[in-house]
Amino acid sequence: MRRAGLLAACLLAGAAGAQTCEQPPAGAARAESPRFVLYYKPEPAIVLNKHFGLRVLVCPKAPVAGPLQLRVDARMPAHQHGMNYKPKVAATAPGQYQADGLLFHMPGRWELMFEVEAAGRSDKLAARVDL
Amino acid sequence: MRRLILTFLCIAAAPLLASDNALLPFSEAEVAQILTHGPWPPEQQRDPSNRVSGQAAAIDLGERLFFDTRLSRNNDRACATCHVPERSFTDGQKRAVGIDVGDRNTPTLMNPRLQRWYGHDGAADSLWSQSLLPMLNPRELGSEPQKIAEVVRRDADFACRYEKAFGAVPPADDEAVMVNMGKALAAFQETLVSERTAFDDFRDALARGDRVAAGQYPQAAQRGLKIFIGKGACITCHVGPNFTHGEFADVGTPFFLAGGGVDPGRHGGIKRLLASKFNLLGRYNDDTSGAAATSTAHVSLEHRNFGEFKVPTLRNLKFSAPYMHDGGMATLQDVVRHYSELKEERLHADGTNILKPLHLSAREEADMVAFLESLTNYTVKWRTRSPHEGPACRPGVSAAAVPAN
Repeated sequence: MRRAGLLAACLLAGAAGAQTCEQPPAGAARAESPRFVLYYKPEPAIVLNKHFGLRVLVCPKAPVAGPLQLRVDARMPAHQHGMNYKPKVAATAPGQYQADGLLFHMPGRWELMFEVEAAGRSDKLAARVDL
Repeated sequence: MRRLILTFLCIAAAPLLASDNALLPFSEAEVAQILTHGPWPPEQQRDPSNRVSGQAAAIDLGERLFFDTRLSRNNDRACATCHVPERSFTDGQKRAVGIDVGDRNTPTLMNPRLQRWYGHDGAADSLWSQSLLPMLNPRELGSEPQKIAEVVRRDADFACRYEKAFGAVPPADDEAVMVNMGKALAAFQETLVSERTAFDDFRDALARGDRVAAGQYPQAAQRGLKIFIGKGACITCHVGPNFTHGEFADVGTPFFLAGGGVDPGRHGGIKRLLASKFNLLGRYNDDTSGAAATSTAHVSLEHRNFGEFKVPTLRNLKFSAPYMHDGGMATLQDVVRHYSELKEERLHADGTNILKPLHLSAREEADMVAFLESLTNYTVKWRTRSPHEGPACRPGVSAAAVPAN
């Protein structure tokens, strides 16, 4: 009985990412929208004019029906342009994603843009990166 | 009394007399920005997409091919015809002259390993694939794979050098041989690293806190540098030790072609790149990790790419006149004045919001030119040579040979 309970807890934690959401990756930055908290960690660290990836964890504030979809992009608001590269986002586990191919080619203020789509609606989250 | 007055006058005049040899005040933030433009030369790294990058035998073969007119259709033009060593590997012409007059200025080949994209439109994602384009372009060298491959097949000396570089005699596949010749050409071009300049000495002196040495840098250049990193905001695109981020920009230069039509710039470059079988997503990329192809795998085609051209390096500019993708500006003064009097209506409506006219005074323009000129080293250490210079190649595969592709 005890073993079954432990197994159920692990399965629930794995399915909803609850365990990971309570312990986000060390050094991850945070962004928030009405329905989600999002943690992201650049890997490797963001260096001017070098490609980098993002490990992203999306945590619903309340249970959400259906799968999540994540889009990632970035822009320089003052310059009114985005990156010259389109990131590719892949789900690595429920609520967990790897975005690759980002590159910030200019010094200045960038804005990382995340769009989380779930249950027919999209939440937009943004995070500032100063290079 | 008279002596006292004279002494006082000399002391009072000392700052004025010494003003050409002193360090201007630079803030901590300015110094931090200046330091990002070095150190020079940067650490050279091999190109993982080219298995003979950095290899002596390939560099030797590549240098000989660079000067060989047999790479052209009519045996009358070589890479060196436009990329003249004594002119920092440019030709001093407004537009490149191959079999036909081209649409664009001949870019310098200096410091190529620091680039991510090659050509004014970035149609090549590696130095070796860029080396193939002029050979195959009907308006440049106008050749084809079979004729190009014959240079290393029929010439016993070159066949020997090819074997030393690639570990086997040229195979029957003309295209594969041609690609390998491109890799040898690239291995040679990677050695074209420009020398240190007065700016580099200044930058390094700042880095070690040596105010006396830093004060040797001409004050006009110091003032120009302040504009460059300050109100000019040139550092937005001209970043890092090579003074370019290696990407593309619309700076309001004309893009209409002499024969009619429009130069599509980066937009056309991306389309050509993705259609090319020689790009880093193709079978000729020697990098098995896939990392070298990251930029190509993610490059994004945008409408704003029309009229964008590659941001050039600012090193050795004194040798590479005229300037801009079409050679439309004869002097550095013309370039500086272009940015000073920028016509914003010539910039794309859906483009970036970066450039504004700088409205520089005459003195500020002169200071900017002085700074740009300080990025040139006037030593010319490369020279035109004969493809068959030196002792003949001795057959036998060298210890540094690599497996054939």
